Amino acid sequence: MPMSGSAEKPKKVEISEGGAIPKKDDVGLFTAWRVAFVGAISIIIALVYFKPEPYFDIIKFLPDGIYVTFKVTIASILLSLVFGLIAGLGRISQNMFINGIASLYVEIIRGIPLLVQLFYIYFALGKFVKLPAEVCAIIAMSICYGAYMAEIFRAGIDAIPKGQTEAARSLGMTSSQTTKHVILPQAVKTILPPVGNEFIALLKDSSLVSILAVSDLLRRGREYASESFDYFETYTMVALIYLVITLILSKLVGIMEDKISDDE
Amino acid sequence: MMNSKSLVHIENVSKFYGDLKALDNVSLDIHEGETVVIIGPSGSGKSTLLRSINKLETIDAGKVIIDGVDIYDEATDINKVREEVGMVFQSFNVFPHKTVMENLNLAQTVVRKRTAEEATGISKKLLEKVGIFEKADEYPGKLSGGQQQRVAIARALAMTPKIMLFDEPTSALDPEMIGEVLDVMTKLAKEGMTMVVVTHEMGFAREVADRIIFMDHGAVVEQGTPDEFFDHTENDRAKLFLSQIL
Repeated sequence: MPMSGSAEKPKKVEISEGGAIPKKDDVGLFTAWRVAFVGAISIIIALVYFKPEPYFDIIKFLPDGIYVTFKVTIASILLSLVFGLIAGLGRISQNMFINGIASLYVEIIRGIPLLVQLFYIYFALGKFVKLPAEVCAIIAMSICYGAYMAEIFRAGIDAIPKGQTEAARSLGMTSSQTTKHVILPQAVKTILPPVGNEFIALLKDSSLVSILAVSDLLRRGREYASESFDYFETYTMVALIYLVITLILSKLVGIMEDKISDDE
Repeated sequence: MMNSKSLVHIENVSKFYGDLKALDNVSLDIHEGETVVIIGPSGSGKSTLLRSINKLETIDAGKVIIDGVDIYDEATDINKVREEVGMVFQSFNVFPHKTVMENLNLAQTVVRKRTAEEATGISKKLLEKVGIFEKADEYPGKLSGGQQQRVAIARALAMTPKIMLFDEPTSALDPEMIGEVLDVMTKLAKEGMTMVVVTHEMGFAREVADRIIFMDHGAVVEQGTPDEFFDHTENDRAKLFLSQIL
């Protein structure tokens, strides 16, 4: 139980690699979000309107890539949630073998850059199994993000007071019944916000898959630029579109967070 | 009451934390319908002993037999035993994400395999009994500590256990709420529920207990009826303890 008065712990610094999620009480960030969002949209519109050549051509060329980016991101998120849940439960398992495997997975995957993992699955393992680039991309992203999700799940489950488990077990519930009915439903609340952050981070990292010839947003931009030589114009547009997408996502995550805390 | 059958048989139980003896060769029988109150200074092993009765603690030596079942035997399905052993905790441990009614119904449906209607019927009666029927659809966060603890008691009773364990059930409560919880426990004892209670409430111990167990340094030092213990004990450690708290 926390003792008041004596040595107070310093506040935890919470900075994630995901987009900064605007909350109403953080006025500075909230305004910055608005400025960035309105600014980005206005610049896109202005460029297309005043200089349709080449900006309008670029923006007509990119939607296919946006679609692929979303497809890869959403598939990877769903799959990484599954990996993360399994590995996260493994990390808190009393069974030494399961715990060992799960911990090893988390340690190894978090120790290798995502770009290297992408290369490894597509090019290195491609020597034995040839899978479509998009599938390889989704597998690599899911395995990688699954390891990060596992730590979020583990932390979320660890945060539930031990008394909850003891109460459930004392009623005769099995360990898995306790996890399903008592622990996970409570852990979801603490887990959702960081998972939202991972979602945004994953969307940005999905640009790495363009290196595997997956026609995502960045790749489509590169294709356009290498034909037209409009590098500055194309990548400006690509950057602005990424920015708009992540800003919308971080807004949605913020709304979701508020919803959850309102339910208390 | 002492000639009724032994529901809990604790035999030479010891437990160590490193060099520290949390439980020191404890033997104890608890009979059907009996209310046993365990008292003693903090760190004397009261809670550890209580928690070993439903295997929330591991033990290093000895046996605990509940209704004929050796619960520390590897072959025993502990979940089956726990269905019969209700437990109430100091920190309530109600499920905050479930309403009061859902708190009572969960284990009934999941563990006892009762239908939702059966469970709800039983829950309603119990909520009435502990005096919080009108809070059935509230979430625990909206309830006072005393109300939450009564939910926890009802939740344990909903499993129709053979024995109820209380681990300092009023220690986390504001003084004005202690009475409402003790009233429920007194009612239960009068109805003949077998109860083992760890508490610092000496008034309750004196009034309700059939037997007082006094523990110190992990061992049972003295036991007897409330009258024998509170007024006529010859044991020096018990006398010292009583002089400090009364």
